[in-house]
Amino acid sequence: MFNRLRRSAVVLTVSAVSLGTISAGVFIGSPGAGAAGSAPGVTAKSITIGATVPLSGLAVSYAEVSAAAAAVFSYVNHKGGINGRKINYIRKDDCYNINAAGCTANVGATPTLTQTQTLVTQNNVFAEVGSLGTAAQDSVLAYLNQNKVPDLFVNSGSSDWNQPKKYSALFGFQPSYRAESKIFAAWIKKNKSGATVGTIGQGDDFGANGLAGLLAGGLTIASANQLTYNPANLLNPTALQAELVQDLTVLKTNNVAVVVLDSIPPITQAILEIAHQLSFTPQWVISSVGSDPLSVATPLEVGAITMNYFPSTATTSNTWNAWLKKVIRTAPNASTIFPNYFTGANAGVLDANMQYGAGFAVAFCEALKSLGKNVTRAGFLKAMTTVKFSTPSLVPLSYTKGQHQGLQGGSIATVVANSVPTSPPQYATLVGNAEYTTGDFANTGIVTNKQKVTPIPSWLK
Amino acid sequence: MKRLLLLRTSYPTSSRLVATVVLAVLGVAITFTLTALDDSKLAGGAAIAIVIVGLSWLIGWSGQVSLGNSGYMAIGAYATAIWANHHTTTPIIFTLLLATACGAVGGLILALPSTRLRGPYLAGMTLAFSFAIAPLALNFPSLTGGSGGLFLNFLSAPTWFVNLFSGSQALIRANAQWTADVAIVVTAVAFFFMANLFHSRTGRAMRLVRDNDVAAELAGVNLQRTRTLAFAISAAYAGLGGSLLTLLTGSVTPQTYSLPLSILLLTLMVLGGIGTLSGAVIGGLIYSYSDNLVSLINKTTGINPTSTFGANLKGIVFGVLLILTMLLAPRGLVGMGSRLTSLVRRAARES
Amino acid sequence: MGSFLTSRFITYLLGGISSGVVIALVALSLVIIWKSTHVLNFAQGAMGMFAAFVGMNLVFKGTNYWLCVLLSLAVGLALGGVTERVLIRPLYGKPEINPIVVMVGFLGVIESAIPSIWHSNLLPVPTPFSQVYYQNNGHTILISPFVIFQVVLALGIMGGVALLFQYTNLGLKMRAAALAPEVSRLLGVRVNRLLTLGWILSSGVGAMAGVIVSSGQSLAATNMDGIFVSAFIAAAVGGLESPVGAITGGLLIGVTESFILGYWSSNMAPLAGVIVLVISLAIRPQGIFTRNVTRRV
Repeated sequence: MFNRLRRSAVVLTVSAVSLGTISAGVFIGSPGAGAAGSAPGVTAKSITIGATVPLSGLAVSYAEVSAAAAAVFSYVNHKGGINGRKINYIRKDDCYNINAAGCTANVGATPTLTQTQTLVTQNNVFAEVGSLGTAAQDSVLAYLNQNKVPDLFVNSGSSDWNQPKKYSALFGFQPSYRAESKIFAAWIKKNKSGATVGTIGQGDDFGANGLAGLLAGGLTIASANQLTYNPANLLNPTALQAELVQDLTVLKTNNVAVVVLDSIPPITQAILEIAHQLSFTPQWVISSVGSDPLSVATPLEVGAITMNYFPSTATTSNTWNAWLKKVIRTAPNASTIFPNYFTGANAGVLDANMQYGAGFAVAFCEALKSLGKNVTRAGFLKAMTTVKFSTPSLVPLSYTKGQHQGLQGGSIATVVANSVPTSPPQYATLVGNAEYTTGDFANTGIVTNKQKVTPIPSWLK
Repeated sequence: MKRLLLLRTSYPTSSRLVATVVLAVLGVAITFTLTALDDSKLAGGAAIAIVIVGLSWLIGWSGQVSLGNSGYMAIGAYATAIWANHHTTTPIIFTLLLATACGAVGGLILALPSTRLRGPYLAGMTLAFSFAIAPLALNFPSLTGGSGGLFLNFLSAPTWFVNLFSGSQALIRANAQWTADVAIVVTAVAFFFMANLFHSRTGRAMRLVRDNDVAAELAGVNLQRTRTLAFAISAAYAGLGGSLLTLLTGSVTPQTYSLPLSILLLTLMVLGGIGTLSGAVIGGLIYSYSDNLVSLINKTTGINPTSTFGANLKGIVFGVLLILTMLLAPRGLVGMGSRLTSLVRRAARES
Repeated sequence: MGSFLTSRFITYLLGGISSGVVIALVALSLVIIWKSTHVLNFAQGAMGMFAAFVGMNLVFKGTNYWLCVLLSLAVGLALGGVTERVLIRPLYGKPEINPIVVMVGFLGVIESAIPSIWHSNLLPVPTPFSQVYYQNNGHTILISPFVIFQVVLALGIMGGVALLFQYTNLGLKMRAAALAPEVSRLLGVRVNRLLTLGWILSSGVGAMAGVIVSSGQSLAATNMDGIFVSAFIAAAVGGLESPVGAITGGLLIGVTESFILGYWSSNMAPLAGVIVLVISLAIRPQGIFTRNVTRRV
């Protein structure tokens, strides 16, 4: 017995000694990545940035957004980069943080967190640029903040990215769901005054904020007509069907004439189909998040109202559109990444996803350029609030110390039929007006302005 | 003489204690040599190992097949998130104990209708239970954050720990390693208690109830109480594991702990070795490094990881491994290991 | 009459029946396997979906819908037989957890193999029956030609299985082989072959359930996961030995889910199975439809 105790003591001592040696070796010989004081991911010739985006899985229709951003960065690199630095944009597949339904990334149960950790610890990114998804990005806010990694131009309309006091290195890009809904409410009050309004929203932040914006915009919606669908049912089509049939039957029974949808494209499609099966034909008002006609892909969407914050893709005179077409055509592997642009009924047509990706990529380049040779994280964050952005969007893009949301409005658009009858519809914009605010949408009203057109910077052409 | 006798009766526990401390120290030492990413993976694996050992206790030792342990993980996870968001300054240990207690209570509740059930009916009951967690979470959104779930701050390394590191990645490395070290220590403590349980009278009673419950009853063992205790302990461990995972990932949603996770736990437990401590550790390690393993397979066989086949390779490999293990080596890697050592010993003796 | 058919209660009832028959079908297939081999087939849903994928994918390419259905059925039958011979046969006599785990592994393999073979396609499978619901004075009756087809097909299959077991020689032999294998062997019944036949039959039923679920919806490997859980619970409620019990359980759970969805909230719908199970097991732990069985000590 004493032998055994002595043996344990020996083992313990040996372990303590080895721990001491290993730790000493690690600390004394500590490598320290990069030269002292330089920003992570930045060298004299390159800057590395990353994003966690759905490259597969049920939100794969959004993959094109970051692909377009990557195309812009390739174009810029081809012209020599920004101040001599090439932009290295790493996109990691996080499947919208849902590891199922066709996800082809090997990422375990928390895809966004895993991929974010990889970007931060292995790829040593300077910042995240254009990561996508409300729930996905919510799950890594604390991690990025803890490790002081800037999170720029988050692709989502949630207001979670607009918390400058708590998260000073976090910035959104698109208008908030509330802002969009206020604009919808104004349109409905003007064009469908007196009609009964109902909503079907995703049962999370997205739907809740959409509804709140409609009510804040002055609409009256009976609580029986405020419906949701459970986002967990995205993986359970039978349950989803049952739920949507239920929701639409209620709306039909209550003689709802205008239905506002806060849903992602596959759900928008399902809702339109089921309404058709129930012979229910209200005026559809669809959030920009879920209305892209090429993603929703059903002729049943014709006539729906939505909001755009980029110019109509059919407009040929717009110089940004022409420039973007050039960028897409010359992108590496363009025909594999953008198949619908090169073949099919909508060949040669830009879609909203491409404009979105290009929009924030251009903004990133402008902020980076303003820093000159010396690039630091602190400097970049300051540039975000001081640079006057030239942007393809209809409304101005600006950030201040107290506002990190980004675009603050858009323009009402209607979905029109394609000239090829069996193909998915396309957008058109109502002429003229953009609605936006320069203040905080929660407190200020909507201001109607002419659509903004800022010229393309010469160094970008 | 009396002192020696006293030492002798507490010997097994004290030697287990020493072994635990040694292994924990070794584990912590290893985290110093790993990259930040591997440290995070190891931390996740440690949390899963805790849940697996609890499941092993329930299925291996008391013979009750449960598919609902992900539900207890969810209970522990939500308890942790709710508490951490209201009381940000409690020491970690208190939060972990709270989650463990909540898990145990959950186990007791499920045990009420379940201990009378055998075989498939029990499996069905536990399956239904694991399905009840998400709806309950969704129906009390003010408490549970609804479908978006709850977020909490990650375990941050204390300043004295961060100062041990230098270089521009110091903060990141320190945070990743701190979480791994905390996870290892908690796992070591949990395994210590389970090791004692295995060799206690309770453990023997469990096995008797599993193998021949009529004989057990005749021998004076209270069936209901024994089975209920098994549920409660297994649920407590699952709650602890879920709590640790929540602290590691900073979030919990209704979808995080669901049926696929229950199935994964079952798989890892079987692969490691059902009813054993080392089997649970192996299961945890497989969880941590399964992606690395699959990348290795991709590299050596030349399969493209983003092709549809390559992306689903992990699921196929796991499924096939599980089937082969059950058909050929039902006692898992640990069983194969002990068979191998006894073969070697026999060969050595005969030569 | 018109307003009765379009009332909320009837609408929910109709919805529950159309989803309940599918659950009942899968529950029936689980009971067939249990009665013949005392195994709980966790991969039942996935096997059915695999068969559905093979057949129904061809509908997109223009093949006749009914031919595709027959193809799915054939694949289902074959898959059942192969699974029993290769995976289950070696496990007879081993602890009851072994086949459960093996089938769980098989479930994982199938659900990973499906997306690796077929490219993900979010379009719904076209069916020869319209999915537009009937209208009465502008109100919807939740019946469409497709729903009628669904229910008729499911009832037909259940009826066919019942006829097989009750009135044919083969059915008699299968029941004997399950109840008393040793005695049956002495009487010249080829027990092993009949056990395989049980699996073949069950898998065919599962394939038809997969076909029904996937028609008019997009094909996804996980389409049957939720249904499998409900079917499992339905079978347990009905008592795993009783086909009639499984069917009743399936309909009961389908209708309960629909009522919870309608009168309470969609979030709570998965609780339907839990509620029904807890109540029924509290009343009669061995299943509502089983006869009393004594245990040998």
